[in-house]
Parts: sequence; C-alpha cells; structure tokens
Amino acid sequence: MSVKIDPETAVMDLPRRDARDKLTGRTRYMVDMAGSDALRAVIVRAKVASAKIVRLDVSAAARMRGVRAIATAADAPELHGIGIQDQPLFARDRIRYPGEPICAIAADTLEQARAAADAVLLELEDLPACFSMADALAPDAPILHPDWKNYECIVDGVARAGNIAWEAKVLRGDVDAAFARPDVTIVESCFRVGRQSHMPFEPRGALASYEDGRYHIITSTQVPWTVRAVTAKVLGVHSSLVRVTVPPVGGAFGLKFDCSIEPMAAILSRKTGRSVSLVNSREEETTTCLCRENADIWIRSAITPEGTIAGREGVVLMDAGAYGGEQVFLSTMTAHTLGASYRLGAARFSTRVIYTNTPPNGAFRSCNGAYNAFALERHTDEICQKIGMDPMAFRKKNVLRDQDLGSTGQVFEGDVLGPMLERMEALRASTGTQEHRAAGRLYGRATTVGTWNIFVGPSTATVNLNADGSATLITASVEIGSGSITQGVPQIVAANLGIHPSKVIVKGADTDAAGYDMGTGGGRTVVSMGSAATAACAVVRKRLLETASELLQTKPENLVLRDGRVEIEGRPGSGTAIETVIARAEQTQGPISGSGSFTAPGTAKAMPGCAAGHFFDAMDLPVFVVHEGEVAVDPETGEVEVLAYRVVQDVGRAINPRAVRGQIQGAVIQGIGYGLHEQITIGPSGAIEQTGFETYHIPLAQDAVKVDIDLFEGAPSCGPLGTKGVAEVAIMNGGATMACAIANATGKKVQQLPLVASRVLGLVEGFEEMLEHPHISRKWSDNILK
Amino acid sequence: MVTKAIGVTVNGKGHELALPPKTPLLNVLRNDLELNGPKFGCGLGECGACTVLIDGVAARACTIPLAGVEGRHVTTLEGLGSEGAPDIVQRAFIEAQGAQCGYCLNGMIMMVKALLLRRPDAGVEEIKRELRYNLCRCGTHLEILESALLAATRLRQHG
Repeated sequence: MSVKIDPETAVMDLPRRDARDKLTGRTRYMVDMAGSDALRAVIVRAKVASAKIVRLDVSAAARMRGVRAIATAADAPELHGIGIQDQPLFARDRIRYPGEPICAIAADTLEQARAAADAVLLELEDLPACFSMADALAPDAPILHPDWKNYECIVDGVARAGNIAWEAKVLRGDVDAAFARPDVTIVESCFRVGRQSHMPFEPRGALASYEDGRYHIITSTQVPWTVRAVTAKVLGVHSSLVRVTVPPVGGAFGLKFDCSIEPMAAILSRKTGRSVSLVNSREEETTTCLCRENADIWIRSAITPEGTIAGREGVVLMDAGAYGGEQVFLSTMTAHTLGASYRLGAARFSTRVIYTNTPPNGAFRSCNGAYNAFALERHTDEICQKIGMDPMAFRKKNVLRDQDLGSTGQVFEGDVLGPMLERMEALRASTGTQEHRAAGRLYGRATTVGTWNIFVGPSTATVNLNADGSATLITASVEIGSGSITQGVPQIVAANLGIHPSKVIVKGADTDAAGYDMGTGGGRTVVSMGSAATAACAVVRKRLLETASELLQTKPENLVLRDGRVEIEGRPGSGTAIETVIARAEQTQGPISGSGSFTAPGTAKAMPGCAAGHFFDAMDLPVFVVHEGEVAVDPETGEVEVLAYRVVQDVGRAINPRAVRGQIQGAVIQGIGYGLHEQITIGPSGAIEQTGFETYHIPLAQDAVKVDIDLFEGAPSCGPLGTKGVAEVAIMNGGATMACAIANATGKKVQQLPLVASRVLGLVEGFEEMLEHPHISRKWSDNILK
Repeated sequence: MVTKAIGVTVNGKGHELALPPKTPLLNVLRNDLELNGPKFGCGLGECGACTVLIDGVAARACTIPLAGVEGRHVTTLEGLGSEGAPDIVQRAFIEAQGAQCGYCLNGMIMMVKALLLRRPDAGVEEIKRELRYNLCRCGTHLEILESALLAATRLRQHG
C-alpha cells in the first residue's frame, strides 16, 4: 500500500528540542560524562616530523605514581585507513609527522598521566622529510611509506606510486583537439589554498569501558559505525565486540567523520578494567586537527568566440599529510566540483593525493569543493576578463542545464543553476546593493556558482509505536548541532504517521540498538536516514491501517493518519485515536514496529571509461548554490569588510525553513572565515604553527554578516518529500565569493586563500608574488601515472 | 599540597574546599562541585565557554584560581534559574532558538546576564561589544545577538 504523504504537512519551523537543555547547562556532551571514578589518559606524541624509532621504553613511566596502564603499538597490531590501510594507531618503526601518537597513558589523575608522559624514553634516528607537496614530488624525494605497494586498498588497480598516495583521473572527449582549434582563446590559472581548521568547541575525545568482554566507547563523533569498525580493526578483534554510543556533539564540521583516538581509550580500559577518559587538549586538537587540506590547482580552458567552453583541463594536488585518510576518498570530488557547474566540450582532470611529513588532513564541510569552487570561479572570472564578457552573462550561458553532461559524462536532470542565477538578480534587486557603504574604499562585487553532492549511502531506521500514541525513532544518526536528526527526520516520521513531531522520541546513537549508518555528515542525514525512516514508517502505517480497518469496518485505503487519529478520508473527526488502534494491535498481532533501509539509488551513471580512481563516478544527488558578496577593501591596510552577502540555495524542499536558514547563515560565516582570515601555516619542522584560538582567528560576533537567503525549491531530488541536504553545501562558495569580489574590487589577480589583510595589501601594492606552480607540468599527461 | 579550606559561595550555597589554592575555578566547579554548565573550551581564557559570574561580574573560570574567589559569590549557568523556571536571559535564548551545537552558549548567556545586571538598558552595539571575545564556531552569532536583544527588551518591559 503506497500512500502519498502530502509534503506540506511536514513543513514547519519546529523548534529545537535540545535548546532548553543546552541553554540551561543540562546537556551532557562526552566531556561531561567521565565522572570522578574514570581514569584520565594522555597521548604521548612525536615532536619530530620524520624519524626511525630505535627504541621505545615505557617501563619508567609505568612505575610512576598513579599510572594504571600504557598502550603502545604492540596493543594495536593492524593498520587502518579509508581508502588505503596505511595508518597505525601508534607510530611503530617510524614517525611520519609532528604530533603522531607514540603511546597513551592512563592514570588516576590527569596530572599523574602528564608526569608519566615525560618519563617515556624514545630513541630516534632522524630521517629526511618532505614538508610540501613540491618537496614530495621531487624526483629524489624521500618516500614516506617505503612499503606503499603492500598496503591493502579498498579497490585494486588505482594509480599510486611512492608519495603519490592516490590518483583520480577524468577523461572525456578530445581535449587536445579543443585546445588546438584555431579560433579558441586559451586561459590558464594557478591557485593555492592553505588549510582550514575546524576548531569545534568540544575537542575529540572518548570515554571507554570494558564490560563482559566487550568495549563500550562513548565518544564525540559523527560516525559511530566507523569508530566501531576501525577500533575493531586496529585492535584485531571482531567488530561485534565494540559498542559505540554518542551523546550530543559539541561541534564537528567533518573533523569527527573519522575514528581518531577512541581505540586508545578502548585499549586502556581493557588493560585497567576501569573507565578511561581520553580528551585532546586545545593545543593537541589544533596541532593535530584533520584540517581541510592545503591544495595547489592548475586549470586551463579553451573558450570559443561564442563564449562557450570547448575544452578544460586541470590538475589538483591535495596534501594528505602523513597518511591518506579522507583525502583518498575526496579526490573523487574534483570531477564533481572543479569539473562541474559548467557545460564542457571536452574535459580532463588529474587529482593527486600527496604524502608529506605534516599532520594528516581530513574532511571539512564541503571538503575540497570549497577550494575547487574558489579555483573554478576565479578562473571563470579570468576567462570573462580575457574575452571581455560580463561574468553574469557568461555564467548564464554556460552553467549546467537540463540534460547537460558533467565531466564524467553524467547527464544532469532539471534546469536548476540557470533559474537560480535569475533568482539571485531578483534577490539583489529586492535587498539593494551596499556600494554606498564602501565610503572611499575599493568596492567589489561577485556572483559565484557551485555544485556539490549529497553523500547518500546506507542508513537504517526502526520506528516503534508506543501505547501513548508516540513513536520512538531508533537510528545511529548523531545530533552534531545541525538539527537533522532531532528536527528534520522526526518531522518526516511525524508526517508519515499523522502525529506531531514532538511525539517522535529520538533515541541517541547506539550501535547496539540501531543498525548500520554511514554517518552524520555530507548533507546525508535528512536524505538517507529520512528515507530509511520513511521506509520504516511504511511498515508501521500498513499495520496501523490494517488494524484500524478491522476496527472501523472500512478498507485500509479509505483511511488516513491525521492529528494523532486514524480517520476515514474526507471525514475529519471520524474514526478513532491512534492509541486505540495501537492497543488493539497489541492484543491481536503484537506491538507495532517497523524497520526500513535506504542506500544510494544508483540512478546516476557516468559514461563508461571517463573516470578512474573514483569512489563514485556520478553524483546521485547533485545540489547547487549561487552566492554573491559585496566587499570594501581598505587600500591602506588591506582589510576587507563584507558589506552584503546573498545566497540562493537549491534545498529541494525546506521542511524546516528556520533551521535551514540557520544552517546557511552559520556555514556562510565559516566560509567567509575560510576566505578571509582562517589561516593555518606549516612551520619549518612540519608542524602546524597555530595552537589555539589566540593564533587561529575564527569569525567573531563583529565579523558576522547577516546573509540574505532565498531558498530555491523544487529541483529534482530522491530525498524524502523532495528534501536535499542543506548544511554541508552552504559553506562551499564562501572562499570563492570573497576571492572574486576582492579581485573585482582591486582589479588584481587573486590566486590564494585565505585573503588575510597582508596578502590583500600585497595585491593592492603589487608586491604579492604571482604563483607559477613549477611542480605541475603544463603538459597535462605528465601529471598522471603511466 | 593541600592547604586550609577555602570558603566560597556557589549558586547561593556555601562550600569549604580543601583544595590546592591554584586549582582553576573551572576544575573546582566541574570536578568537585559536579556542575555541568561552565564548559572547558581552551583552558587559556581565549574562548569564553567557561564564563561564570563572580559577585555579578563575568569572568573566565578556567584562568581564575580557586584562591581568587575566596569569600566571593560565584554564579554558574545552573544558578541563574531552575529547569522549570529559567532566567529571563535563558528564556530569550530558548525562544529565539539561539543554539546549534550549544557548547559556547554557557559563556554567551553569562556575558549577557552580566551586562544586563550592569546596564539593563544596553542596546545592540553594546551587546555586540560585550560578546566580541566570546567565540562560537557554528556561526550562530546573529541568533545569539537576537536572543540577547530579546532578553534586554523583556527586561525593560518587565523589570
């Protein structure tokens, strides 16, 4: 019985159910749960970037006062990694980055554990190191992973060699022919971005215990099932022996999309038989942050006299740091970001993930899309400048429209970006420009476009109906602040069952209670978990309506669920309360409960042979943004003020418009931070130089710009009720928009992010060095492994 | 190490604490008095997540030693109101939905409370200035500001 749910019944500005506890100090994050009886643990970390471990001696540390156990590489025999199994939990024979864990110590107090850390003896032999991607790609570069050929990989046959951890490649059409055309204008650009640090207020940490032969890890994560799997993997135990539960998370932004220090706490809990709390200090959190990676980008296009793109080629170098991590997976996204948004005659891209002796990088909201959008949009404006075409006119002419091909040959459905550009013009007209506020400073404005993917993928949910007419939603999704599992998914469940969302109880993530979920991130929770919950509700509905049909003596198809009642269609107030039906079902067939599952629909297909080394060749659920910024640049100081910011975002259907707007506003603030002032630098010894909030400038209240937002609804979506993920993509064009607006204001070639005042001043004054990227060959085929 | 007991009033209740005088107040509040409101964000007074009121004035508990509050009245988020009857500032934050991950909000609320105690007629610019060194990573600054303004308006209307 497939019943259409009226999507409008789900649309409401449902308040956050967790607001009251969060605002009265009652919410317990992981860091609030240790209690006085848990042991405290610290990690002993490497101080050098590259060395051979000759000897590790923890015997003196073990004898220190209060010390209960020490975990070392001997306790974690296996390697882990998302695409390549290249990373040990603790460094074994070799140190590859400053800050790499050597061992972890549990003691009665934190002070005792810290004192014992100083007593650990580590004998090292220096090894040569690579601190930049150019270093790592040099012909005589020291190889970080001499054993790279023997690592286990998620797929076979991917191009890899030495410090090139992974290579993803796109090839569609005859690019050489496009560039050889006599009538095309060729435009070439180089870009570089630094790292961005997540700086969640709650650091990464875990509270572990060992009971009945099983590990129980309470952790601040986005991916309980990944923590379960990785912990089991590195410890060499069966994954059924690991249980992961997750309380509300105090900020994540992608940083917590990987297992991190949880297995260390697990080992220590088994060794001591006690609960063990292990939490990064702010300095550890900052200096070992799995940042959005730094990257070098080269892009070249052949533009026809009509202003279309005959061919495009590009090379993206992503710095993995010492281990492959998320970057291996994210190399896929060049095809769908740098290679997207515009209609391309022919295209080829090489994306290389490079090992360096620096802290590993990871996932950060819109991941590499944030800098690929920057590169693409600055390149687009350079094209417009060179051919003398208005940037808005060029975009309207070239953005992907219905049935256009993406870089991997995927066919795009629906006309989305074009109408969104028109909506942006209307939004600007209705809000008015702010040029008058530039007051003598250099004024600039830019409109940018972006494409991202919603990471659909496996989720499962269970819905139990309770005697009081409420429903319990059991999932492994995590409340990371976005509200997707405490507002979005309950609204979908409520609409399916004809009850108010406040009557949907949300069980906190627990791998012992809920089935597998890929994780909370990538804009996927409302789509994937929402779909799984919808499937669970279908089972529940069927049983409810069958029972009600018997009770009310009418066919199930004549019945509707509304306002907590089962009613006869077209007769409001008829029928009976849902509680009556639930009670009846309990007597006749047992309590009503249903489970449902979802994964990627797999409907999107690339052209065969276009993509190699990709985790997915086509996007299952593309999502689009149009951003616009107005800036004033002070030519004396290089300081930038954002005068206005506008967003038109493809949201599918906004079932909680207030929450959606809140996510967009917050993401744009982070995106502007990325564009202007969030700066991570790598020092001469390979370490991250910033150590906390004092040296890493996150946006402050006075930096916060009110964003004018227009929600674009109705684009095709496989999401439940037509929804798409909204919180991830909203950050993507912050850097792009700042860069393009500043280039517009100054008339200078903006090549790098972040645009800190000193860099902007350098551009204005002409002393900013122009990037050439000598380590990227201008012959594209030299940038792929043969 | 342990010296004579230090007397301090926390949320209206007197405590005699036999702890090292240099223990950061935040550790005392969280570990010894088991309070959950003030949060550890950095331990260096940089982020503001640990803010409490000392004799009605906002202060960062992670950098103030226990000895520094001897004989004083410390108020934490828990001391502002009860679960059933939150403080006027908390009510405004709940109503304006000024929360995402929520970790920084203890500090934001305590700062606004301290400002409104001092200057009940504070306007938007003054509130902005007061909150300029309290960090939020989710980017909820505008909702926080809206919440604070709502609290100020309510205070003016209802005293």
